[in-house]
Amino acid sequence: MKLLLVPAVVVLAVFAAALAALFRWSLLEFIPGSLQTGGLTLANFRGVLAPQYLGAVRDTVVLSALTTVLTLVCAYPVAYVLARTPSRRVRSALLVLILAPFFTGAIVRTYAWMLVLGNTVVTWPVPMLFTERGVLVGLVHFSMPTMILILAAALSHVDPVYERAAASLGARPFRVFWRVTLPLSMPGIVSGGLIVFAWTLSAFPTPELLGGGKVKMIANVVKDLGLDSFNWPGAAAFAMLALALTLALLTAVGRLSAGRAT
Amino acid sequence: MRSRILVAVLVALLGLPLVPPARAQNALVVSVWGGNWKNTVESVIGKAFTAKTGIPVEYEVGGTIDRLAKARVAKGNPLVDLNFTTTHVARLYISDGLYEKLDMAKLPNAREIAKEAFRSDFHLGVWAYVYTVVYRPDLVKEEITKWSDLWKPSLKGKIAMPDFDPSHIITIAALMEGGDEVNWRKGEARLRQLKDSVAAFYSTDAQSQDLMKTGQGPVQVMLSVNAYHLQEQGIPVKLVQPADHPGIVGIDTMAVMAGTKRADAAHQFINLALSKEIQTELVKALRAGPVNLGATVPANLKGQPGIFVSAAEWKQRGYIMNDDARAKNLPGWREWFTANVVKK
Repeated sequence: MKLLLVPAVVVLAVFAAALAALFRWSLLEFIPGSLQTGGLTLANFRGVLAPQYLGAVRDTVVLSALTTVLTLVCAYPVAYVLARTPSRRVRSALLVLILAPFFTGAIVRTYAWMLVLGNTVVTWPVPMLFTERGVLVGLVHFSMPTMILILAAALSHVDPVYERAAASLGARPFRVFWRVTLPLSMPGIVSGGLIVFAWTLSAFPTPELLGGGKVKMIANVVKDLGLDSFNWPGAAAFAMLALALTLALLTAVGRLSAGRAT
Repeated sequence: MRSRILVAVLVALLGLPLVPPARAQNALVVSVWGGNWKNTVESVIGKAFTAKTGIPVEYEVGGTIDRLAKARVAKGNPLVDLNFTTTHVARLYISDGLYEKLDMAKLPNAREIAKEAFRSDFHLGVWAYVYTVVYRPDLVKEEITKWSDLWKPSLKGKIAMPDFDPSHIITIAALMEGGDEVNWRKGEARLRQLKDSVAAFYSTDAQSQDLMKTGQGPVQVMLSVNAYHLQEQGIPVKLVQPADHPGIVGIDTMAVMAGTKRADAAHQFINLALSKEIQTELVKALRAGPVNLGATVPANLKGQPGIFVSAAEWKQRGYIMNDDARAKNLPGWREWFTANVVKK
C-alpha cells in the first residue's frame, strides 16, 4: 500500500528540487551581457525591492483581491439559480454557458476581450483596454466559471428546508438569504475565494495582453526579468519573493476565512 | 506483485518526457523561431540543402530565450547542430561557450557578404531588417517622415513600441541628443517625454501586428519584416525612411553549436544559406535584406526600409548598434525604461 505513495513522493521531490534550484539561482550574481553568473550575493533581493517591482506586487495583490470580490458577487446569483432551479432545461443551458469558456482557452478569451474593450465593438465612456479596469474585467471573466461551479456545489448542499422554515417564521426573502443561505454557503465562498485569489496572484496572459505592457503583475515581471533582460538570478529572486508573499497571504486569508466558515 | 507493476508503469510514464524525440539518422538539426521564420528556412534553405547534400534537416523551434535556455542545459552535448538567433543574443551564446568558432575555409560564400554581416568569429548574419516608424495613413491623418515626429503632441495615445527590447527607441533618443547606445543617458529627458504618447507596449511580433490591425497602436516602432507582412495581408501600413536618423538595423545570424558531431554539415548549410541564389529567394520570401551583396532584389523592394543592396547602403541607410554594448546594457535599459516610461 505504501508503494502507492511513490508517485506523489516523486512529484513532490521534483517540485522541491526545482524550488531549491530557483533559490540557488536567486543567490547568484548577475553579470549583464553574459550567461555566466558570479558568486553568492543578496544583491538580487535588494534589486527586486526597487519601487517599480514592489509596485507590481502591490498591483497584483489589489487586482487579486478585487477580482475575488467581484467574481464572488457576479457568480453567486448564477450559482444560486443553477443549484435551485427545478427546470432541467434551464440547468443544462446554464451549465453549457458556464462551461463554454473552458473550451476556448485563456488566450482566445483574452483576445476576444481585446476586441470588446478596445472600442471596436462597444464605445466605452472611459478607456478600458490597456488599463487596470480592462485587466480586472478579463480576470473576473476568467475566474467566473470556476467560482460558479464551486458555489453551486456548496449551495446544492444547503437544505431548502432551513430557508422554508425561516420564511414560515416570518423572515422576508432578503433576511432568509442573509441569515440562512449565505452563512450556510460560506464553505463554498471560502473555497472559491481562496482558489480565485490564489490563481489570480499568478495570472499571466490576461495582464500581458489586456494590460498592453502598462499593467504588470508578478508573473509578467518574472517573465520580463528572465526572458527579456536575461537576468535569470533577478527573475529567480523575484519569484522567491512572490512565492513567500503568496504563501503568507494565502495563509492569512485562509485563517481569516476559516473562522468565518465555521 | 500488482502494486510493483503499477509502480513500474508510473515510473515509466514519468520518464517518458525525458526521452529525446527520435531523429532521422545523420539529420542536421537546426534551431530556429517558429511560424514564418521556420517555414522560410525550411522551404528556402533546408530543401535546397537536402537536395544538394542528401542530408535530411530537422527543426527545433521555439522563442529566442527558450532555445537559449535549452542550449545552456545541453552544453557540451548539444541537442541541435546549428542555431539561428539575433546578433546580440548570439553574444550570450558565445559568452557561455555554446558556439563553435567558424571555419571560414569551409564558407567560401562568406566572401561575398557585406562586412556588417560578419558579426564575430562565431556567428554570421543571414538576413537584415530595420526597426523603423510604421503607421496607418488611414487612421493617422498627418504624414510622418522622421523619428522626431513621434514626439508630436498630435500622436499622443497612438504609439506602440516594444518593451521587451527598448534599445531601438533608446538609441534613437540618444542619437537625437548627440549621444549613441553607449552614451544613451543623453536621451533620457527626451525619452521621458514619450511616456504619455504610448498607447501600448508589445512583447511579441504577433501583438505588434494585432495592435496595428485593430488600430489600437496605429503608429509603431516596428520590425520592417512585420510591416511588409501586414501589407501583404492588405493592411494599409506605411514604412517610414526617417529623414533625421536611419532605422535601427537588426541582423539575424547563424552559428554552429559547440560539441556538435555534424559541424561539417552545419558549415555546408551556412555556406549554402549565404549563396546568391538562396539569398535572392530569402529576400522574396521574408522581405528582409540580403547579406550577400550579389543577391538579386526585386525592383519593388529596392530602396525600401531594411533592404540594403550595396556596401554603401548598409552604411548609410541603417544604424547598426554595437552588439556587445547592447547585450550588456539591455537589462539596465529595460529597468530604466520600465521605471521612467512604461510605469503609470
